Parts: sequence; C-alpha cells; structure tokens
Amino acid sequence: MSAGLVGLSLLLLIAAAALAPLFARFLGRDAGYPLAGFFVAALGLLAVHAPAVLDDERVVLSLSWVPGLDVGLVLVLDGLSLLFALLVLAVGAVVMAYSARYLDPEASHVRVYTLLTLFGAAMLGLVLAGDVMLLFVFWELTSVLSYLLIGGRGGGASKAAATRAFLVTGLGGLALFAGLVLMTVVAGTGDVRSILADPGVVAGSSLAPVILALVLAGAFTKSAQFPFHFWLPGAMVAPTPVSTYLHAATMVKAGVYLVARMTPLFAYGGPWRTIIVLVGVTTAVIGASLALKQHDLKELLAYSTVSQLGFLMALAGIGTYAALAAMAAHVLAHALYKATLFMVVGVIDREAGSRDIRELTGLRRAMPWTAGATALAALSMAGIPPFLGFVSKEEAFAAFLGTPGPGWLAPLATTLAAASACLTFAYGARIFDGAFEGPLTQKLFDPRRSFLVPAALTALAGLGLGLAVSRLNPLARAAADAAIGAPGEVDLALWHGLTPALALAAAMVTLGFVLFLLRRRIDRALDPVDLPTSGARVFDRAYDATIALGRRSGAPFTSSVPAVHMGWVLGALATAAVAAWLAWSPGVPPALATDELGADQVVAGLLALGAAGAALARSRIGAVAALGIVGFLVAVLYVLLGGPDLAITQLLVETLTVALVVLVFRKLPRTFAAAGRPRRVAAGGAAVVVGTLAAAGTYAFTGRRGISAAGAYFLRAGPDEAGGRNVVNTILVDFRALDTLGEIAVLAVAAVGVTVLASSALSGAGTRERSLILREATRVLTPGMVLLAVYFLLRGHNAPGGGFIAALIAGATLVLQHLTGGVGQVRRLLPVSPPTLLAAGLLLAVAYGLAGLLLGGHFLQGAIWQIDLSAGTAKLAASLVFDAGVFLVVLGAIAAYLRTFGGDEG
Amino acid sequence: MSWLLVLPIALPLAAAAATIVARGRRRTQRILSVGCALVVLAGAVALVWATRDGEVLAAGMGGWPARFRITLVADPFAALMLTVSALMVTVCTLFAAARGEDEQPYFHSLVQVLFAGACGAYLTTDIFDLFVFIEVALIASYVLLTLGGSLRQLRAGAVYVTTNLLASTAFLAGVALLYGAAGTVNFAELAGRARTSGEVAVAGTFILGALAVKGGLVPVHGWLPRSYPAASPAVTALFSGLLTKMGVYAMFRVYCTVFQGETTLRTPLLVAASLTMLLGVLGAVGRERMRDILSFHMASQVGYLVMALGISGVAGLSAGIFFMLQYIVVKTSLFLCSGAVETFEGTGALSELGAVARRRPVLAAAFGVSALSLAGVPPLSGFFAKLALLQAAFVAHDYAVAGVAVAVSFLTLFSMVKIWNGVFWGDPPAERRRTAATPTRGRAAAVVAPAAALAAVGVAVGLGAELLWALSARAAGLLVDPAAYIEAVLR
Amino acid sequence: MTAAVIVGVLAAAGTYLVLQRGLVRMALGFVLLGHAANVLLVVSGGIHRRGVPIEGETVGRAADPLPQAFTLTAIVIGFGMTAFLLALAFRARRDLGDDDLEGES
Repeated sequence: MSAGLVGLSLLLLIAAAALAPLFARFLGRDAGYPLAGFFVAALGLLAVHAPAVLDDERVVLSLSWVPGLDVGLVLVLDGLSLLFALLVLAVGAVVMAYSARYLDPEASHVRVYTLLTLFGAAMLGLVLAGDVMLLFVFWELTSVLSYLLIGGRGGGASKAAATRAFLVTGLGGLALFAGLVLMTVVAGTGDVRSILADPGVVAGSSLAPVILALVLAGAFTKSAQFPFHFWLPGAMVAPTPVSTYLHAATMVKAGVYLVARMTPLFAYGGPWRTIIVLVGVTTAVIGASLALKQHDLKELLAYSTVSQLGFLMALAGIGTYAALAAMAAHVLAHALYKATLFMVVGVIDREAGSRDIRELTGLRRAMPWTAGATALAALSMAGIPPFLGFVSKEEAFAAFLGTPGPGWLAPLATTLAAASACLTFAYGARIFDGAFEGPLTQKLFDPRRSFLVPAALTALAGLGLGLAVSRLNPLARAAADAAIGAPGEVDLALWHGLTPALALAAAMVTLGFVLFLLRRRIDRALDPVDLPTSGARVFDRAYDATIALGRRSGAPFTSSVPAVHMGWVLGALATAAVAAWLAWSPGVPPALATDELGADQVVAGLLALGAAGAALARSRIGAVAALGIVGFLVAVLYVLLGGPDLAITQLLVETLTVALVVLVFRKLPRTFAAAGRPRRVAAGGAAVVVGTLAAAGTYAFTGRRGISAAGAYFLRAGPDEAGGRNVVNTILVDFRALDTLGEIAVLAVAAVGVTVLASSALSGAGTRERSLILREATRVLTPGMVLLAVYFLLRGHNAPGGGFIAALIAGATLVLQHLTGGVGQVRRLLPVSPPTLLAAGLLLAVAYGLAGLLLGGHFLQGAIWQIDLSAGTAKLAASLVFDAGVFLVVLGAIAAYLRTFGGDEG
Repeated sequence: MSWLLVLPIALPLAAAAATIVARGRRRTQRILSVGCALVVLAGAVALVWATRDGEVLAAGMGGWPARFRITLVADPFAALMLTVSALMVTVCTLFAAARGEDEQPYFHSLVQVLFAGACGAYLTTDIFDLFVFIEVALIASYVLLTLGGSLRQLRAGAVYVTTNLLASTAFLAGVALLYGAAGTVNFAELAGRARTSGEVAVAGTFILGALAVKGGLVPVHGWLPRSYPAASPAVTALFSGLLTKMGVYAMFRVYCTVFQGETTLRTPLLVAASLTMLLGVLGAVGRERMRDILSFHMASQVGYLVMALGISGVAGLSAGIFFMLQYIVVKTSLFLCSGAVETFEGTGALSELGAVARRRPVLAAAFGVSALSLAGVPPLSGFFAKLALLQAAFVAHDYAVAGVAVAVSFLTLFSMVKIWNGVFWGDPPAERRRTAATPTRGRAAAVVAPAAALAAVGVAVGLGAELLWALSARAAGLLVDPAAYIEAVLR
Repeated sequence: MTAAVIVGVLAAAGTYLVLQRGLVRMALGFVLLGHAANVLLVVSGGIHRRGVPIEGETVGRAADPLPQAFTLTAIVIGFGMTAFLLALAFRARRDLGDDDLEGES
C-alpha cells in the first residue's frame, strides 16, 4: 500500500495534465496556481517515504505491463530518484506559479499548460523508473514534449529550433534505445536494480563497450554535452516558463541522472569514467567561454547551463561519494539559481522589453526587489559563501582533486573545472553589473509581487540551503548511496577548514573578479573571435545533405516507364533463380521416357517462328496475326498433350483477345513506334536470358516423376465421387470449385474495369455490317448457336465442354448480333445488362456454395442425383448450377466488352 | 464452425454482386458494404477468440478427402490478419463515403472483391488457390487505382498493372515448377520439403521472389511509390492496409511452411531487408508530397517485416506478426490523415501547405500520434514492435541488421518531422487552394473521424501491448512448429 | 525437351515485347508470357502421359488432370487481365491519341 503512494504521485501529475485543459479554459493564465498545487501534492506523497528513503531504503512499486517483452511498470524511490523528483516537482510548482503571471492574460494557454504538466509527469516518471525500458519510454516522451513546447504555434524560427533539438536528442535517444535493449538482452532482465546489483554481467560482457557507448550517446545528447550542445541555446526561442523548466532545471539533467544511476556499470572498469569526466569538463569550459561572449541575457544563461551541465556530468562521471554528494548539492544549487535567473530575465523582458545586456542599465534603482533576487542568484552562481552554490563548488573541487583513474586525470579535470568556475564568476558578475549598475535609462517599476514571488523563493532558497547545508546531508548521502549501491560517508558543510578545495575556490573567485574588471578589454578581444563553425550550422548542413541523399536514392526507382520497373523485376527474379540453383545444386533426376511425337517438334518449330514474328513485327496487323497463329499452335499443342477442353478454351480466348486487340487498334498508326536502339538491345538481351532460364527450368523440373497422388485420385474419383466423366471439369466445378469461384470473380471485375475505363464517351450505335448475307446468316444461326451453347453447358461434366466454353459460344452469337444489328439488337436479344449478368452469375455461384454448406456441411459441396429415364438412369450433378453461374459471368463479361469496345466513338 | 471460415470470402463476394445490382443507389450500397465488413469483422474476432490458445480451425471446400481438396484454415496468424483487414475495410469505406469517392457506382463492389481476395489469401492452404485469390485482389486493385481515369492515374496504372502482371506470371511459373518437382500444391504436404528436396527449394525461392515483388522489397519496390499516390486517398489507404500485406503474409506462409528448418535463405533475406529499410526511408526523406513520402515508407517498413522473417524463430516471427498488425493500423491511419488534409487543403505538397494544426487540431493530433508510432516513439505500438524486433535480432546475434533498423528508425523520425513541420506547423500558405467547397462541420468530422479512430486504436494497442503480443507469440509458435496447422489441413 | 524449347521461345518473345513501348505491344507480350507459363503448367504434370483424362482412359496413360485444370483457370484469369490492359490502352488512345504512356513522370 505504501509503495502505491509512489505510483499515486505519478498518477496525480497525469491527472493534472488531463485536467489542465479545463483549468486553462476556465481560469485562463491563473490555471498555473491549481497546477502548482498538484505538483506540491505529488511531492507531498513522495515525502511520506522520505524518512525511509533517507535511511537508504528503497520503495518499490512493481506492476506488470508487457511481460512478454520484459517491460515492467516498475517505479523505485531511492535517494537518487528522490533528489531528482524533488527537483522536478518543486521547480515545477514554482514555474507553474510563475507562469500564472508571466503568460499573456488574454490569450489561450491550454496547450502550454497541458504540455508543461505532461512534461512534469514524464520527467517524474523518468527519475522514478525502475525498468530500463520504462525509463526510455519517459525519456523519449520528454523529447517529444520538448519539441512541441519549443515549437509553440509552429512559426519559422521556433520550428527550426524545435527540429534541431528533437532530432539531436532523438538520435541520441535511439542510440540509448539500442544500448538499453542490448543491455536487457545481455543481462536477461530489464529491471534496473537487478542489472546494477551485478554490474559485471553487463559491464564485463564482450558487448560492454557498445552498450556503454550507446548509453553515453543518449546521455550526452540529452544533457547538451559538447559537441551536442548546440541545440540548447537555440531552444531559448521557447517562452520563459518552458526554458526555465525544461532547459534549465529538468530535461537537460536527465542525462546526468542516467549517468549517476548507472555508476556501478561505468565504474566497473575501462575508460568510461575518464571519458565522461573529460567530456564534462570540456563542455564546462567551452560553455562558459561562449557564455562570456553573449549579449542576450537568455542566450547567456543558455550557455551557462551548458557549462554547468558539463560540470555536473563530470561529477557524475567521477562516481565517488564525494563527487556524487557534490553533484547532489550542485544539482539543487544550479536549479535554484538558474531558475531564478531565467524567471528574472522573463520579468525584465516583460517590463523592459529587451534582453540585451548592453541596453539594460540601472534597473537596481527601478526594480529593487528584482535586483535583489538577481543578486542572490548571481552570488550563488558565482560561488560566494554562504550560498549553496559556494558549498557545492567547494565540494566539487574536493571531488575533482580526488578523481580516480589515470594520474593525469585529476589535475587536468580540476584545472578545467576551476577555469570554468572562474569564467562563471566573470559572467555572473556581468549579469549583475550589466543589468543593475549604471544609470537608469528606462522608466520601469518592480512587477507585482505575485510575479516576483516564485523567483524570490528560489533565490532565497539558495541562500537558506547554503546556510543550513548540513540539513542536506541525509539527502546527499542517500543519493550517493543509491547511485553507488553501497552506503558511504558524506559531509556537506559550510566550513570544512582550510582545505585545498577552499583555496581553489577562493583563487577562482579572485581570478574571476579580475576577469570581470577587465571585461571591456576581454569583450574587444573576444568579439571578432568566432568558432569556425557552429554546431547548428553543421546540423543544418547534415539535414540538407540527408534530404539530397534521399532524393538521389529514390530517383532510379521512380521512373514512369514500365519497362524500367519490369527490368528490375526480371533482373531480380533471374538472379534469384540462378543463385538458388547454385545454392542448392539439386541434381536433375532422370527423365521419364517421353514419347515425343514428331508433331511436337513441328509445333515447336512453327511456334518459334510465330513468336519471333509477333515479337519483331513492326506493323500492328502483322503482330496480331502472328499472335493469333501462336495461339492456334498452342491450342494444337494442348490437343497433343491430351487436353481438349484446354484447347477449345484456348482457341476461343485467343479469338476474343485478337478481336479486342483489333478493336483497340482502330485509329492507331499502322506501325508500332520503335523504341530506341539501346532499349531494343537491352530488351533482346533480357529476352535471351529469360528464355534460356525458362527453358532450363522447364527441362529440369518437369517430366521427371510419376503421376502425382492428386492426379491419380482425381482420375479415379472424378467419375465415381463427382459424377462426371470429364475429370478436368470435375476438378473445376467439384473438387477445386473455390479456384473457379475466384476465377469468375476476376473475370467479373475485369469486365467492370473495362466498362469503367473505356466506355465513357461512346455512343451506342456502333458500326454495322450491312452485308445482307451476314445478316441472314446471323438470323439463321443464332437459335442454333444458343442451343449449342446450352448443350455444351449440360454435357460439360462428362465430355469436353462446360460453362466457360458454352458461354464463349453464346458470346460469339452476341458478337454476330452486334456486328449486324448493333447494340440495340443485342439488347433485344438479351434484355439484361452486362453488369446484372455478372452479378447474377457471381451470386448464383456463391449461393450454390452456401447451399452446399447448409445442406451438406461443406462450402461448395456438390451432390449427385439419379434421374430415372425411360432409357435408364442418368446422373445429374448439382455442380451444374455452379457451372451455370460461370456461364452467366462469362457471358456478362463478353457482353460488357462488346458494349464497351464495340461502340462508336466520335 | 466452418461457416466462420467461409464467411470472409462468401459474404464480400455476395456483397460485391449485390452492390453491382444496386449501383444506382448509393445509400443501399453503403449499407451493404459497411454491413458486410462489420459482419466479417465480428466473425474474424470470433476466430481470434477461438484460436487464442493455439487451436487451428479448418473447413474443407467440398466434402472430398483432405489431401486433394482445398481447405480453408484459420490459425491465430490468419485470424489476426482477417480482423485487421476487416477493420481497415470498414474504416476506409466510411472514409471514402465521407469524401464522396463512392460516387463511382462500382466503387463498393470493387472494394468488396478486393476484400474477398485478401481474406481468401489469408485462409487458403493451397498455393495455387493463393495465386487465384491474389489475382482476385489484384484485378480489383487495378480497377480501383485507375478509377478516375486521369492521365496521372493511367500512367500509374500502366506501371502498376504491368509490374504486377509480370510478378503474377512469374508466380504462376513458380507454382508450375513446384508442382513439377513436388507433385502437390498443398501447404501441409509441402511442409519442410525445401529441406529435403533441392528442387522444391529452388522453386520455392522463385515463388518468394515473385511475392517479394508484390510486397515491395528492394530492388523491386519502385512501382509502389510510383503508382500508389496516384490513386484517390481512400483507395491508397485501403491498398496500404490490404494489398502489400497480402504479399508479405504469403511470404511468411510460404517460407515458414515450405522452408521450415531450411536456413539457407536467412542471410539473403536479412540483406534484402536491410537494403529495403534503408532505400525505402531514404526515398521517403527526399520526397515533397505527403503520399509520396508515406508510400516510400511502406517499402521501408516491409523491410522490417522481412527482417523479422529472416531472423525467424519464435522471437523473430512474433515480432514480425506484431509489427505487421500494428503497422497496418498505423499506416492506414497516416494515409487517412493525409487524405483528410488533401480534402481540406486541396493538395498534399509540403511546399503548399502549412499551419494545418491550428485549423484542424484533432487531425493534427491523429497524425502526430500515428507518425510517432511509425517512428517508434514509446509508449505507442510502433515502439513495442521495434523493441520486439531488436530484442529478437540481438538474441540471434544479427547486430548489423539491428543497427540498420535503428538508423532507419531515426530517418523515419526525420521524415515524419519533415511532414509535421511542413504541413501542420509553419505558416499558412499564401493563397489557399479552394476545394469544391469548404466542408460543413458534419462532413469535416466524418472525414477526420476514421483517421482519429484508427489513431486511437493504435494508442490502445500500444498501451495494452501485452494482449496483442501474446496473440502474436501464439501465432508465431504455430508458424515455427506447424504440426497443428498440418494436422488441421489433413484432418 | 521440346517443351523446354517451346516455353523458352514463348518466354523470350514475350519478354522482348513486354519491354517495348506502347501498352498494346506490352499486352501482346503478356499474352505470350502467359502462354509460356500455361504450357509450363501443363507439362509440369508430365508429358509422357497424353491420354485425355476422361473416364475410360487408363490411369497409366491419362494425362494429369490437375495441371490442366490449373491452366484452364490461368487462361481465364489471364484473359481478364489482358482485357483490362487493353482497356487501359484503349483509354490512353482515346485521351492521348496514342497508347504510349511513357512521358515525364
């Protein structure tokens, strides 16, 4: 039950996010106050566990989410997470209260409040997460929310900054993802405690360098370490509450949190600590130097944040008790003074309309309270006693001096850290001096108390916590213990005696003061100096290069020329076939004795000629004629191979195809347009390759085994079980009727497609043959042909015939009618429209199938009825109904083609 | 129970016929069409329920002996695919109705035939029958693609029809080779044959190649982004949900049955998958119209599916099935969103759009959620799918492919951000293109609702990922060990 | 052997045509390719048995009826496809005056 309070705390924030739109709609900008209340309440819930947590206990809430993927809903409250949760919730409350006065009283703030609250929830979830994947879920959510918050309403500058931030942190996030998944796989679990309890499993595995490097990539990008720091200053286009909360206090600290959390892994062995420390102190120095160059207060603060993040990261990387305690203190100190400064900058921006440090002078006289808060914060930042910033800095120096690892690391790190501290003092002093000293140039007033109270709170906290810093000891110790995994000693105090760290701190303050005094000379020296390139420019160039690469890689595949696509298909398939053959190298089994008739070879020879003719013919009529001959020869081949049904169908289909082609040819030029020479050569080459492969395939795969079991079965069962002597027909309408159902569906749709595509502006009449002979012949033949069609339909089950052939015969009748009498005559003969025929046939077939299901228990099940006739018994198969459905569909299709292609066009 | 297996094929075909008869009355057509889809959806859910413990249902076509008849079989994989497909058909039909695309009298009939073909492909256990049903779906798609008859559609149709016809012919040839070598076209009888017979393996590889063309694998993926964007928005959405996935499903089925235990194709599949993922997403990054970008993404995501197939094993196949199911929902939602944008703004070109989020916040939210899911941002469904895939890859030591997958994830995010920046953020375009008329509140809601509904489904799938994951794992188990499947077919 | 030659020739001619300009020529190519696939399908049952599969024909001599049924279905499906392709060409000719749809993308 008590562990549930932790979950409840998170839920409370999520609920707040759900309610935020309502608050914002009804309270306007005042919604910040109730939302701040939620943050405080959430903190209260966590505080219930504080005594236990400060005693090095852990409160764990474990629910299952997706156990199949090792993702659990595990929340852990220990010293480290309590520290950061305190940060997230306390600063969150302050920022909410601040927003209630900062935001425009007239505009709608639904989006900002909802997103900010959601962000708070995500950040809280991140620090509380006890499952590696759950941590990543919240990690990515903070990136997405940051994108949305920076982008604001989507204007140009915000868009670019938001994109940069999102893509950089997103890239790091994906690296982190890969690293964490790898970690789960290596460790066998996603539970953070289990992984850290036995660090050797992960850190000692062969994949450790990859895992840890990926995790660091995520941490460094998120916490704006060099060289990934450039997104942070750009993110300052966001409104002040967003900058304060996300980019000073919480989101950017996530990387530091991660590194601290993973201390056992990084401390296990290898160069990791060194790397982290070096990256951290480098960032600290570079950030501070760049801060010195800035004139815009907000940008200055941004670079200062970069620098401080580097400082924190280095401390987290050192990983000793002293370092982690210093980190704990500094995290708090930084959050307090940075938040104050950001909020104050917001106040100044509002009141004075500018953030340029050169334009704001003498505000001390006009805004004494604001100046006071700023002074407190700046002093803490500069590291002056008795502020918290001084304590954390002194502890930090002590920790740097005790950096484990290679001998050169401690001195180098300390030097760089000290340098950054010195620069920090310099720009801190500048802030104070620049904004508040000097003559008053603008008419200004201190803002309302409610606007200033939040900033004052944080500023005073920096002083108060500094004076009472020993009260922080339990928290710092608990945090360090939680990070390292074992209890240790921590002693934060205002006065440690005359230690080297104190001396260092004092020296840095002095040096910083000197730099401040020399500020104008430094400015003149630094102003022309610029980095050869900025991270933002590199990013933009990479962005454009990616898009260009994308365009070029898509180009070869997006041609409008069908032949190009088909070329790829042929190439790929041919390669696959050859490669497969080589890979498996199946031998070719011996061929069964083939009684090849001489007729076979004659047909083959003629076919070769016909095919060549069709391919190479330049005149359209020639090509069609060759095609017709080829079709005829194929039909002959079928007869030779023992398939009369096949041959008849083939002949009839061929005739129809030729007729359709001829109809399309009308009004096209008599010869084909030739493709260019290279294309013809390529096509020829492809033809040779495909032909050879096809022949080889036929040779190797056919004629080398006895009759298949299925074939034998059908030969036997066709007459016996299905009641039909024509086995092929029984297969079509009885055994594999589902195939035939699909086939008529195809035909029906094709007919519909033809109707839709080709019928638009055709008038109905059509050319008519006026020949008297033809008309008389048609009139005489029609009834006979209809009867012939019916006959073929009825006999199909027992002899060559069947629904398809019958329909083709009937269709031929229609063609004749159309030729002699036009559409009107056809309509008189067949008053049903083609689409209705198609539908009727399809419905009939499906109904037959369903009847079989209802009556016989199987879809498309047939039945055989014995009919007693005077001449004996006859077998009638129910599948005749199905065949009738086929008949109707084919007839409908032919009628549709006729109506469509045969019409007259203008 | 066998009527449950017949329903997804018979009912849409009957509905197709009925809507042809009713082709003057749009209202009747809509009722028939959506009603049929909903009934099939209910049936599919019942099938998922019935197979949730690994039971396999079978229905023979005709009362003939099992070896020689066509059997329709529902294992968990098929049941899940049926459910998702039915949902897609319902939603896309509603979207088409909202946009007025079904003014074309044959629209609903064609969609129903496409639906019937897809369902048949999922349920059949016979490789020739698979060919027939794929052709049924394809011919319906040919007509749907060119339904407007514009020059752009004719050009796209030429590419689409010819490429797919070629692949179909190749498929048929592959079936012939297979029959020549093995003497059967029944999946149950072909199970594991590639391991023992080299000829079957070669024929099977050729068939997989033809199916890869239909699925849009590199290097035969170009036809997809060339042709799909030319169709009307509802049709493109429908294609993305039904058509390409049919080819991938067939690949899964053929590979897992015929090639069971035969691992020679592992590396080629992983290489093809890597290339597909990479070239697909790079192509997407370089385009400037919403539907072009999304179409290239389809090719890229097929790469993920084939990666899962290559990794194989229960882990890999579970990830693949989960990925496919959630991806269908997400992708269709994205296409519906882009279709809605085109309806309201009259164009899909990034350079001509801007600030849509301000005018259509619900649409923007739907798109944002689905886009993040596609990019794999937690806690959405796409994240869990990629997690599962990465886990499977790492466990199987396929680090190179995993690396490609992660890099491609980033580029997917990149392209989604590009769309978001260009369409939903940014400044409103200088002159608004006027569509026929600014739609009324009701009509606008009807256009956005399908996209929003699917986005919500995607979120639900993500938050409740365990449910779908358990079902996918069950389905994968049956693919890896098809004993139950075979037994059901030959029962 | 002859079957292999037939299939190879048809496939080669079909491939050549399919890669040419003009939808009608492509349609012709597909018809030829279809023939190739169909012949391959029929002979996959084995060409050493050529009896017509009708009751009365001895099982040893009768051709395998299954591939014949397959081929029949394939012929009809192919016909539907060809008709549609020709309709595309028809429409292109009507709208553009030519069946060649290659142009700027």
